Amino acid sequence: MRFFDKPINNSLLSILISLFAINLHIIISHTPMIPQQHWAQKIFYLHVPVAWTAFLSYFFVMVFGIMYLVKKDYCWDRLGQSAAEIGTLFTALVLTTGPIWAKPIWGKPWIWEPRLTTTLILFLAYIGYFMLREFGGHPERVARYAAILGIIAFVDVPIIFLSVKFWTPEIQSHPQVEMAQQPGGILGPFFFSLALFTINWLMMLRFRSHTLNIKQKLLSDHV
Amino acid sequence: MLVNLIKKELLIELRSKQILVSMAAFGLSVVLIFAFSFSVSQSILETFAPGLFWVLILFTSVLGLHRLFDYEKEFDAFSLVIGAPVDRGTIYISKWISGWIYLVVAEIIIIPLFVLFLQLRWTQPILPGIGILFLGNSGIMAIGALISGLAMRARMSEVLLPVLLFPLVTPVLIAVTKATTAYLNAQPFILWQFWVLILASFTVIFGLLGYLLFDHVTEE
Repeated sequence: MRFFDKPINNSLLSILISLFAINLHIIISHTPMIPQQHWAQKIFYLHVPVAWTAFLSYFFVMVFGIMYLVKKDYCWDRLGQSAAEIGTLFTALVLTTGPIWAKPIWGKPWIWEPRLTTTLILFLAYIGYFMLREFGGHPERVARYAAILGIIAFVDVPIIFLSVKFWTPEIQSHPQVEMAQQPGGILGPFFFSLALFTINWLMMLRFRSHTLNIKQKLLSDHV
Repeated sequence: MLVNLIKKELLIELRSKQILVSMAAFGLSVVLIFAFSFSVSQSILETFAPGLFWVLILFTSVLGLHRLFDYEKEFDAFSLVIGAPVDRGTIYISKWISGWIYLVVAEIIIIPLFVLFLQLRWTQPILPGIGILFLGNSGIMAIGALISGLAMRARMSEVLLPVLLFPLVTPVLIAVTKATTAYLNAQPFILWQFWVLILASFTVIFGLLGYLLFDHVTEE
């Protein structure tokens, strides 16, 4: 059965699309302009939720990896692969939206800002992850190795962040005011966008693991 | 048992000399390429020297890391090793330590020629430098031995190893380059102890992870 043949999934998709349209409208028309940043700041409502979704995905790649190593059930591997694919897609979006924001604010699209640099390193690590999945050989071994790599990559994140941060101490992290000090007109739309992207992540994860389950079933039927 | 495993690694290498010769020859070739490629002032070269040196060591270590498991693919020798009544984590530690030893031996050959060919001045006391080398090598090999174990049985393992290793080893490269620069510029230890801490933490964390996860790497 196709994923969107289920009425619940179909309805969820329609609601999500509508909410994303509303989100975009709120961001463009109903959020305050920040002095000095103007329109460039608007990308903050998308960039931060996208980054959150990317790191959430990679966190769950680690969790699903641990679950696979403990339970040896392929469903955890497929969930891990789904989360890794979504994470990498969103990491690519972070690496696109970050420089779009940085160009008018810092005058350059790239200045080795610690969070963006960590994201780039993680993106490269996950290119290796997919290569390992492709060239790893036997499916059981690939699942095991992918689980291990997912754990290693996520454990490395705080060390990468710390070392990049102190590598270029003159380059500060995003010069944003603390969240609590943000004007009210910013916080509401921001958390709405964040929640929306999180729900969207769950939907994507379900959809991708569903297609991987079908693929697996077809392969085993074929064999 | 750990000592026996390390002995086995070193004995095989002593007989074949494959890893050490390739690491040293590759390292020296890259030093030559560096010497021919940079026609900059001495002060600029000295600024870049720590980074160049650690990039060279990282590339050299990949050769050693690849062979660390690769030679045991012949006649499926690795299956016999993991078939022995030995804790799998101990096998990882033996690979880590033997890889570390190969890297040190290669560095003993590479460092004097790196200093000589690039005409660098080295006036600092040698002991802190040895400490930085010790930690840098440990960090690279801690994650390298684990990644090499993962890449070993994959197709295109020689390509996969650097693609997987380089992004994950970034903290080590940053920390060890920063520490080496500070040491060569005679900065007080308090200014660069943070980098030593990063190196030590990385080594301990990935050493422990390797020890715990190697059982899953070697499952049949």
